[in-house]
Amino acid sequence: MSAVSALWQGALVLFGGTLLALVYKGFDRKLAARMQGRIGPPIRQPFLDLGKLLVKETVVPRTAVRWVFNLMPFLALVAAGTVLLYLPVGPFKPVLSGYGDVIVVLYLLALPAIAMALGGFASGSPYGVVGAQRELVMLMSYEFPLAVVIVALAWRVAGLGAGPAFSLATLAAQPLWAQVGPLGVLGLALLLVALLVVTPAELSKIPFDIPEAETEIAGGLMVEYSGVNLALFYLADAIKTIAMAALVVALFIPYGISGPLGIGGIGGQILDVAFFFLKMFVVMFAAVTTVRVAFARLKVDQIARGFWIPLTAVALAGLLLLVLDKAVVG
Amino acid sequence: MNAQAVLTALKEALGDRLRAPEIRTRSVGVKSPRTIEEVWGAIDRDVLLQAARTLKDLGPLHVSIISGADCGEEIELLYHFTVGFGTEGGEVLVTLKLSVPKTDPVVPSICGIIPGAQTTEREKIEFLGIEFSGIPDSRHLFLPEDMEVHPWRVDEPELEKFVKRAVKWEERNA
Amino acid sequence: MRELEKTFEVPIGPVHPALKEPIRFTFQVEGERIVGVDVKPGFAHRGIEFMGMERNLIQVLYLAERICGICSISHPIALTQAVEVAAGIEVPPRAQYIRVIVSELERIHSHLLWAGVAAHELGFDTLLHLTWKVRERVMDILEELTGNRVDYAIPIFGGVRRDIAPEQYPKIQEMLRYYRGLFEELAERFLRDASVEARTRDVGVFTPEEAEALCAVGPTARASGLRKDVRQDWPYLVYGDFGVKAITPEDYGTEVRGDVYDRIIVRLLEVAQSMDIIERCLEDMPEGEITSIPKVPALLAQLKKAEGEGIGRHEAPRGEVIHYIRLEADKEAPVVWKVKAPTYSNLMSWVPMFRDQEIADIPIIAASIDPCMCCMDRVHLVRNGRDELVWKEELLALSREKTERIRSRVTRYASRVVDHGGGI
Repeated sequence: MSAVSALWQGALVLFGGTLLALVYKGFDRKLAARMQGRIGPPIRQPFLDLGKLLVKETVVPRTAVRWVFNLMPFLALVAAGTVLLYLPVGPFKPVLSGYGDVIVVLYLLALPAIAMALGGFASGSPYGVVGAQRELVMLMSYEFPLAVVIVALAWRVAGLGAGPAFSLATLAAQPLWAQVGPLGVLGLALLLVALLVVTPAELSKIPFDIPEAETEIAGGLMVEYSGVNLALFYLADAIKTIAMAALVVALFIPYGISGPLGIGGIGGQILDVAFFFLKMFVVMFAAVTTVRVAFARLKVDQIARGFWIPLTAVALAGLLLLVLDKAVVG
Repeated sequence: MNAQAVLTALKEALGDRLRAPEIRTRSVGVKSPRTIEEVWGAIDRDVLLQAARTLKDLGPLHVSIISGADCGEEIELLYHFTVGFGTEGGEVLVTLKLSVPKTDPVVPSICGIIPGAQTTEREKIEFLGIEFSGIPDSRHLFLPEDMEVHPWRVDEPELEKFVKRAVKWEERNA
Repeated sequence: MRELEKTFEVPIGPVHPALKEPIRFTFQVEGERIVGVDVKPGFAHRGIEFMGMERNLIQVLYLAERICGICSISHPIALTQAVEVAAGIEVPPRAQYIRVIVSELERIHSHLLWAGVAAHELGFDTLLHLTWKVRERVMDILEELTGNRVDYAIPIFGGVRRDIAPEQYPKIQEMLRYYRGLFEELAERFLRDASVEARTRDVGVFTPEEAEALCAVGPTARASGLRKDVRQDWPYLVYGDFGVKAITPEDYGTEVRGDVYDRIIVRLLEVAQSMDIIERCLEDMPEGEITSIPKVPALLAQLKKAEGEGIGRHEAPRGEVIHYIRLEADKEAPVVWKVKAPTYSNLMSWVPMFRDQEIADIPIIAASIDPCMCCMDRVHLVRNGRDELVWKEELLALSREKTERIRSRVTRYASRVVDHGGGI
């Protein structure tokens, strides 16, 4: 792949990804509203919100550490955007890939959260500080189960010896469900459950929206952000949402429909991409939208306890089952 | 608990320091008419604590509010207690009046007997300029801390300015 | 090296999303744990009592109604009782029933409003939207009976100002059936939801001893197990006829823990209790006059002649309201008017509730006593970066301007819409 075509593809993925992220956010808001018995905003509302934020004044508080405060939104957005480049889109290979890129993705996903926490600390507001502390506790809570899930999958796929190990492209090309025995299927199911529970936490959505918790700390680490800075965080959040959904799809349901339907060529590829978007939507709807209308916000200690003990246990059980399965199946 | 019992207990405890004791009644109810009795009386400030303790011994004591009136030379405080909640019709409303001269507006605080009276005592500090001896927290409650005007005193010279809004309060803190 | 400070101050308020009205909490916080709190009210002090002491009693009644938008019948009921005792005015039986019906309707709407706010504080917006949607039904009935959604203008000295017409009875009964049908669902959503329970159980604990010592009132006291309810303890109006019992969590079959969860239980059960009372009122309500002195000038004349003092109490949705009034002959304005709203009594109960809790619990604990900060007399405006005081004349002019604006819009709207049944 030449550098020029990689650039082209990268730009396309980023642009398309941003558009898709905002559209999906619109759907998420509309559907959540409908489930709550409200009319809800129009689907294009996220675009309007983003447009509004971009023309608003960007205020930096006097007590803030200016350069950190202004840098963090960029960092968050760049990290979220880079994740997109590592994700396979339906039948297409990711723009960037290579040995161990799964680990890179894992870190990139944590980066927006760290950026937000640093921004919160830099804002000089007590609400921001409390929010940042909470964000870090959250990060420490969900990173371990998330890492277990991804490493378990990557390790199992590496055992198949197809393509570079610990690469997302390899993972997506080798759906594991058919490669493992009954024990492995059970293990995979447990890992999927763990990943679906981690998803809303990774995205700071109710019941895990404690770093922002509007009624408690008035938006927490976001409280001092305004204008362009806030718009960047807003965008980073939207992109991270679809990146998480795409990651779940790539890891667990990377199936296309062009093959079974027997449609080849360009038509098949378009169909596969559309199907991929649909799968992402279903994942987002199940793990984000319905969850956030069905629960009250939890407290940070409740989340930490819940993630460290039960959820880590589930993820480790999944890993163990995969190991046992490999010992049996070979 | 009934009003007669409360009045008897107060009379026993305070003797002739309880002035003008009376039971006022009002009739309530349509299908099963009944009367509600209230105890009214006047005391001096030196027996206030004793009176409050007597009431507390009678049953669960609740301070509804302390009302205040500026009567010229004196300030009259009305302690509205209720004694004995928890049973149907078993609560007796007891109002004890107490006058203090404006030159020496000191009243013992009843917070030691019933801590919940603190809010209403703090309100009397700022609005009527009463001093409560022994109150755990004597800061202003509703009004700004540096406001020296007592709005419910009728002879308050500064009050007119507040009513006409001639005091620009905000600039003071700016 | 400088020693790092272990505690830091988190100010909540006067303006904060967790607070629906202005009040300032200053929390001393260690990590997420609260070690101390100072409460400062008074940001909305309007000097209503002071204003009342310069106006005639009918005007005072209007002021009393505007002390609080949610308890807009509780204060007039307490005031009318106080004045009726002071001036020796009788209230016809039917008027007493109507006062009770409206005040119980108010309790239903207030408790549902609170339930929605509580859900929002927990970050459970779905529940907020559900309860507020359900609450519209009682608001419709209040509008039907009184003409207003808030500020009902029902009690007047010596009776009430509006009768309940026979054709309105079925509408009220229909509403009661609607809520009875929904009650189970509300109980399910609030009391048996795992995430609500996780956030409210053993949070903001208030022991009965503290409740008694700090003079807590209303659902706040009852949730700590005190059987304290003005309607039961001091049966004014016609409450004695129905044998109203104070509700504690024991009536739901659970032991009393005095936490936020218990406060939810008490308020939900009180909604059911209010429905029973309204039903009994509709059955028992006698025919007859609704006021003993129908003419306002005659009433004013009698009030001017009156000399005496009186106390009126009412169990508002949030607890005990008490008004003390002193009248002197030949004075139109009361000499003394003291008002106590329930939150005034419950102010101090926050201190033990917040002890050793987490920052995350602040909103729900603050909301759990259902605070209503009513209280100075200025409108303060920052315009073009300068502080200005807006005077009465300017406010009046602005208000008239807005009325005109709305009127022209409404007229335009009305010419397009023929009739939608509810008037405009």
